Amino acid sequence: MPSLTSRRVLHGALASGVLVLAGCSGAPDLIVYCSLDQTFSEPLIQRFARESGLDVRVEFDIEANKNVGLAMRIREEAAARPRCDVFWSNETAQTVSLAEDGLLQAYDSPSAADIPGEFRDPEKRWNGFAARARVFIVNTQLVDPAEIDSMWDLFEPRWKGKVAMARPLAGTTLTHMTALYPVLGEAEGRRYVETAARLAQDGSLNLATGNAHVMRLVREGQAAFGWTDTDDYNVARLEGYPVAAVYPDRNGAGTLLIPNTICITKSAPRPEAARRFVDWVLRPEIEAELASSRAAQVPLRASVARPAHVVDASGFTAMKVDWREIGRAVQARTAEFQELFLK
Amino acid sequence: MSRPLVVTALVAFAVLGLAPVVVMLARIEPHDLTAAFSQRSLALLGRTALLGGGAAAVALVIGLPFGFLVARTDVPGAGVWRVLGVLPILLPPLVVAMSWAGMSTLRGGMATTLVLGLCTFPLVALYAARAFERIDARQEEAALLAGGLRGALRAELPLVMPSALFAACFAFVLAINDFAVPDYVSSIGPKWNVYADEVFASWRSDQNTGRAVAAALPLVLLTALALWPALELRRRNLLASFASDFRRPGTLRLGAWRWPALCVVLLVLGVTALAPLGYLLYWSGGGTRGFSFEHMRAAFAYALEVGRSNLQSSLLFAAGAALVAVPIGLVLGHALERSGRAGRWLAPVALLPIAVPAILFGIGGIAFWNRPLTGAVYDSGWMAVLLFAGRFLPFVVLAFSAAVAMLDPRIEESARLAGARPARRLAWIVAPALAPAVFGAAAVVYVLSMRELDAAILVPAANSTVLFRLYNAVHFGRDDFVAALALLVAFFVIAPGLLWTFFARRRLEVLP
Repeated sequence: MPSLTSRRVLHGALASGVLVLAGCSGAPDLIVYCSLDQTFSEPLIQRFARESGLDVRVEFDIEANKNVGLAMRIREEAAARPRCDVFWSNETAQTVSLAEDGLLQAYDSPSAADIPGEFRDPEKRWNGFAARARVFIVNTQLVDPAEIDSMWDLFEPRWKGKVAMARPLAGTTLTHMTALYPVLGEAEGRRYVETAARLAQDGSLNLATGNAHVMRLVREGQAAFGWTDTDDYNVARLEGYPVAAVYPDRNGAGTLLIPNTICITKSAPRPEAARRFVDWVLRPEIEAELASSRAAQVPLRASVARPAHVVDASGFTAMKVDWREIGRAVQARTAEFQELFLK
Repeated sequence: MSRPLVVTALVAFAVLGLAPVVVMLARIEPHDLTAAFSQRSLALLGRTALLGGGAAAVALVIGLPFGFLVARTDVPGAGVWRVLGVLPILLPPLVVAMSWAGMSTLRGGMATTLVLGLCTFPLVALYAARAFERIDARQEEAALLAGGLRGALRAELPLVMPSALFAACFAFVLAINDFAVPDYVSSIGPKWNVYADEVFASWRSDQNTGRAVAAALPLVLLTALALWPALELRRRNLLASFASDFRRPGTLRLGAWRWPALCVVLLVLGVTALAPLGYLLYWSGGGTRGFSFEHMRAAFAYALEVGRSNLQSSLLFAAGAALVAVPIGLVLGHALERSGRAGRWLAPVALLPIAVPAILFGIGGIAFWNRPLTGAVYDSGWMAVLLFAGRFLPFVVLAFSAAVAMLDPRIEESARLAGARPARRLAWIVAPALAPAVFGAAAVVYVLSMRELDAAILVPAANSTVLFRLYNAVHFGRDDFVAALALLVAFFVIAPGLLWTFFARRRLEVLP
């Protein structure tokens, strides 16, 4: 075997350099930032690209960033050189926060006409669709789901060390805990969050890395039940684990529905293509597809067909929330939760 | 070295490695600093320092004997174990944490410390092995005659310790900047928060980026405090350099201890590398839902189908970053070593890109590159290449400065007197003499770039990388696919080192 000479190393380096150069180029017709899981959103966006003939570039977030990475980028890029046209978020609070900061433009999509008003921005800067519900995922070999019907059950002494939730510093858990303050009232909301923080300190309540991790802890029996999203629950259900979903507080505060949101950025460089995409995504057919997927998203339109495992309005009580209020509060609440949960 | 060449390399380093950091530091207002040093954050910092110290101690306790056994003794298969011993540092720490959590009930601070120590022990092992190999044979023979193996070890330990401590400093730095492992390992039982959590949470909670950058400063200071002794050890030339009449020491015979020593080596490798890889293999075949080789084959086929283009992008970006970083690092490493007093000041600055949290470097990358003038670069795959190159240049600079230290300056002087210009001397005298170091430094950048997520997640091109695909897949629970893809990533991370080991005649040189 000949030894590697400097000349060969240099030739190899040059050849690789050319390859790198060849691989790095392109100018798209539309840039979409998307925090819905790549697995579910990518095929849809690819289909839009085929149907419209547009060259669409989509940039995703990862679960670990819980949607904040893309929102952060929109803010950072807006200051110097906006490049994102459409932001498709897998939740609502960050979108509302961007709207409140003047980073989104109004667009009244005809496709959104039949989406219920509570999931649409009155100023038309964002639209909600295809929601996830905040539920308790229960390991049915450890707990009878009928024993759990209130969000406060999480703190029952009999479940000490057997319950879990994600740390409420990002994602839907942050939105959920933020929503509890206006829904339950400031004092009760605070009591709920502070109790969670206190129990987490001594290990009575397990704090997972995210909702998917809560699902894993429960499905494997390391926790009996815990807060998660319906898409995570559905994954465990499809894999055949002994799990059930509990939609708590039917006679009280209800279950929080967190819709996907879609919006056009204030300085979208390609607004025409952005509107076409928003119109395409907000069609009932897309809600139906997301309901049938592994994500099992809950359609917001009552008229949209859904599989049996995706709940309709008769299956739970929806929590009444003002998304603008939550969007305005989320940043201050995060700082509060940081003080409580990062000790 | 010609001044224009050094200035060009310095400018490239400033643009790639320093500008993203400086742009972010410039956002801090004096009042932002108050919150960064609150009682709560200082308590977190204290716990983080404890974690770093503990992990470094674990790395030292395991790495030092492991390095000795595989580099110097007649343990059966020592050469193979030495190569495999690098594996734990190449695997994403979260994978090790996940396999640990699946196999053990130990949780909290103790488990976190142990996992991070196990992940970083190869650093100490590599440096210790190199230092043990640089004990002069005559000195060792004298010690052996006077006191046997125990006497020789007693005499050699003080010579090896600086190198081991140097590596332990880097183990400390890696441990204190990790938040995924503490978060995952302490998800059952009392939560064990660390300062890296605080840094990440501050970015999410605070739209005032000045405050968020300020929140990172305590961790940056702690990192700098850990790197300072490492730089001092290097500056004082205590990292196992050898004289020109150096005689390589022979293999030490362990006698009856040969097989127990093999058990120790295998135990270390089993816990740190084979268990995580086995865990992934098990899950790729179905795991607790029912393992089968057919399932495993299907998982790998699916992972290749879905992840092929992501693997290609990652390989392209990682190779590109190595190609960009190596020439810059070669010039700067040479300048650092040959420029005396100036080099002493350059060394701490050269470490700045890795002293700041990845998220800060990533956002700095957006702030610096996303401008009308450089927008085309920001939008392209080059952004990932430049970001990786800038972030990991410090390792290249350090590797080359160490390699240049071993190069007789008289060779370059002779070439200069013969009329060779500086660029020619660098390309045809210095670089060929450092060929293993060139490849070694390129391999380090390649490996780190393949594994990088936290900084890269924020730039557009990173969307097409395989690590991005992997972490996205973790969410939707296809454990077999995730495990198969993680194993493919691990294979491509390790591949260049394996190729060199099997086909090149000389050993890879990346250590001082």
